[in-house]
Amino acid sequence: MAKKYGMIHDNNLCIGCQACNVACRSENQIPESVYRLQVWVKQEEYPNGGLGYEYHRQSCVQCENTPCVSVCPTHASYKNEDGIVLIDNDLCVGCLYCVAACPYQARYVHPVTKAPDKCTFCHESRLARGEEPACVTVCPTDALIFGDLNDPKSKINKALSERVTYRQKESLGTQPKMFIVPNHKGGIRS
Amino acid sequence: MAYFQARRDFLKLATKSATATVLIPGSLGALGEVALRGEDKFVRSICEMCSSRCPMEARVINGKTVLLQGNAFAKEMGTSLCAKGVAGSSQLYDSQRLVSPLIRVGKRGENRWREASFEEALNLVSTKLSALKERYGARSVIFSSKTGEHYDLLRSFASAFGSPNVFSHWSSCPIAIESAFHHTFGEKLHRDFENATYILNFGHNLFEGLDISLTKAMAHFCANPSKKLVVLDPRFSIIAAKADEWHSIKPGSDLAFVLALLHVWIRDGKFDHTFVEQYTIGFDALVDAVKETTPQWQQTRTGIDASVVERIAAELYAATPRCIIDWGHKATTTQAEFQRSRAILIANILMGNVEKEGGIYLTKSAKRVNALAKESIVPELNDPFPRLQINEPRIDGAGEEGAYCFVSKQHGVLTAIPEAILSQKPYEIKGWFLTRHNPLITVADPQKMKEAMEQLEFIVVNDIYLSDTAMMADVILPECTYLERDEGISTLTCKVPTYAMRNKIVAPLHENKSAIEIIRALAERMGYGSHYAWKNSSELRAFQAKGNAELLQTLLLRGVASFDVPFFCARESSLVERFCERYPKSRAWVDAQGCFGHLLTHLKTPSGKIEIYCDAVEKIFKGYGVPRSVDMDVSQGLPYVLTSGKSAVHTNGHTQNVPYLSRLLSSNPIWMHPSTAKAHGLKMGDTFYLQNAIAKEKATVFITEGIRPDTLFAYMGFGRDAPSLARTHGKGTNVSKFLSLASAPICGAMITNVGVNIIKA
Ligand code: SF4
Ligand code: SF4
Ligand code: SF4
Repeated sequence: MAKKYGMIHDNNLCIGCQACNVACRSENQIPESVYRLQVWVKQEEYPNGGLGYEYHRQSCVQCENTPCVSVCPTHASYKNEDGIVLIDNDLCVGCLYCVAACPYQARYVHPVTKAPDKCTFCHESRLARGEEPACVTVCPTDALIFGDLNDPKSKINKALSERVTYRQKESLGTQPKMFIVPNHKGGIRS
Repeated sequence: MAYFQARRDFLKLATKSATATVLIPGSLGALGEVALRGEDKFVRSICEMCSSRCPMEARVINGKTVLLQGNAFAKEMGTSLCAKGVAGSSQLYDSQRLVSPLIRVGKRGENRWREASFEEALNLVSTKLSALKERYGARSVIFSSKTGEHYDLLRSFASAFGSPNVFSHWSSCPIAIESAFHHTFGEKLHRDFENATYILNFGHNLFEGLDISLTKAMAHFCANPSKKLVVLDPRFSIIAAKADEWHSIKPGSDLAFVLALLHVWIRDGKFDHTFVEQYTIGFDALVDAVKETTPQWQQTRTGIDASVVERIAAELYAATPRCIIDWGHKATTTQAEFQRSRAILIANILMGNVEKEGGIYLTKSAKRVNALAKESIVPELNDPFPRLQINEPRIDGAGEEGAYCFVSKQHGVLTAIPEAILSQKPYEIKGWFLTRHNPLITVADPQKMKEAMEQLEFIVVNDIYLSDTAMMADVILPECTYLERDEGISTLTCKVPTYAMRNKIVAPLHENKSAIEIIRALAERMGYGSHYAWKNSSELRAFQAKGNAELLQTLLLRGVASFDVPFFCARESSLVERFCERYPKSRAWVDAQGCFGHLLTHLKTPSGKIEIYCDAVEKIFKGYGVPRSVDMDVSQGLPYVLTSGKSAVHTNGHTQNVPYLSRLLSSNPIWMHPSTAKAHGLKMGDTFYLQNAIAKEKATVFITEGIRPDTLFAYMGFGRDAPSLARTHGKGTNVSKFLSLASAPICGAMITNVGVNIIKA
């Protein structure tokens, strides 16, 4: 059966340390001025007056229903057989409709290729070798879990069955394959 | 000697690994770019982006490293590594690195240099150092280094040279807790976070000052709803945000909180009486010292409600022995630091968590494990860094009669250096050899330190970057990064005996040499060659391993070596039994309770037991024999306390210019509470001045609810004056400039919380 790769970002474990961010940059040779992945640490004040930090993973969420692919006139943006959304630079005409269409602001224009670029689940750099994505590999707190959603025995399915998750902007119907475990902590008062 | 045979075997092995490519880590200089070309291989080594030294692994493609990740052969690490660790490759290829020795041509500190060959630079250093020794005596040269192999090398070299004046970075970092351990247990203990159920944390921020295995354990602890973490910190740090409770304690007042805990436990008789009786001395003195330190008493000092202390005391007691009162590393520092650190250790002791699962435990070193097993189950290492006894007084008086009699001669008091140089007391200082040490950023009052350095005749610095301190040098010796050098075997032991080894990942990209090569070459030139039993890193390793080629092979291939020794806590009979089953001769040690209790009655303290009361300390520093209330003030009459700490992406001074990391955090705006900002008419991002008696520095403001109104906070390591650090030069504020050279009594710790004023720009 075809694979369907997905990822979990567990906000209870995430500490916003940016190891994932740097690993992505290093593994995928991302130029300095752009990024495929950042974790935004935002200080929140909760209704009870307490404080907390939220850790927002800013990257492609690997939608099942893909606005970026639908909008592409040349099929340069496509979803591969493993459910990973990718870009074929040779087909790209540089219209950048996909950049505008992505509701998650996940795409940027690569300063060298001038084509759009974004998280590929390390398809080209690591998956082919049987390795997990760079961000998942280095995360110091095991906050990221990666795996095949079609495999009932995979790590990710096990975690999904044990942890409550949500997806970003679920109402858009994009069906991201990036699942988020919300932060239980926070709202702390001194 | 056996090790020469080992060395031959070892070299054979190394040569073999050069031809067997894919899985074999290259090392010993046998593998250069040529051997690596067109291949994809893994090399396992040790990180050096911070002092935690996590085991790591690099994938090398075509002789270029691509990704650095954790070394999964170190079980507690998995493949995890922090942002700094992963960014090691960006340091390796940084165009702003030092790539050739530099010799000063302008005035000292003027930053004018000429490039020189290593040959010339080393000749110059050896001639100058020898001349200083000839003219003023060996003691006229100071040697300083961060701890680790650099320090071991330098200390050994200094002893061959004949100078007593060796300094590590300890007095600017963990010296208080180290000293507290020494006086309480005679050695350092570790925390079993994995198995604890309740942790009281005094600012030990493992989520911003990372140490991967501990950070990972703590993250899983926090995410587990059945466990409880309480954090006391004036700032809403990341770990505070992961806690179940955060109390924004007044800076410097940890001691008051702990004394109140001790008071409550003793008042109610709620502590481990049997443990205290069996394994400790001096409890009565403690009872007396904490009579008055009630929860109410602490409330005025810490700002934390008395009822909170009562509750936390009860919760901790209910969680015994699986509870930890976490001391931190360089958490708050005040002049009460020695008492604070001791009080925290004694709180652990009263909870009876010593050598219990989920508590604190003695290092299970090779020596300890072998002695217990009554057989050699883990190889022990030779010390490759001989030290001669130097019978000369030190310039800071460490380890000698006087204020610093309890400070180890091995580490010294860095803040005492400027005064000693400037006053020429107790004698003249003329030279300073620094390796990987940047006191102008990491030590108090760099203004004064610089003034003192200007008086010196000769300064030599070994570093990767042209740091603020390197700028003051006569000669800069550029070291290769940790990815380009081999080192000896280091000990990683906590729960079980573990060794690790730094293996070269790529051949040096430039002229740079390793500290081993630099120090060894100097020793040869200066006539101390016979001081060492080795000539290069491979001989050093072979000597250390005492002829154990198998150990070396494991360390070459895996980067770490552990020996399948089962972990035990001396006071957990089931774990003791498991150990005895494996090593039957160890049954001879088992006591009536089924424990290895003797481990806790034969400690290296004067009494052999755990010392709640230290007679030696009391004799010289009256009132300090047991924890009691001492002056905790850090504001010195000024309205605000400036505190500092780490972020997850930088160390205290080394990483600010590393390309990947500088982009993640390039400055350190000062954290300020909205009410404070309002009172001074400051808006987010505004510029203002911080001022106290010794400095007035520009800063920008970061307004946040996550800090007490009377407290300010800055990340360390910014405000760099060195223009060669182009990415970070001139950005942010160097908080060390506000710190005074006065150090904490007994332990000699630098005091890192300091009173300041806010002045509008
Ligand atoms: S590496 Fe892990 S903990 Fe760090 S920011 Fe990324 S997801 Fe969070
Ligand atoms: S999966 Fe790979 S490309 Fe995507 S964010 Fe992680 S490291 Fe970057
Ligand atoms: S904590 Fe990070 S920088 Fe420090 S040694 Fe570990 S991986 Fe390296």
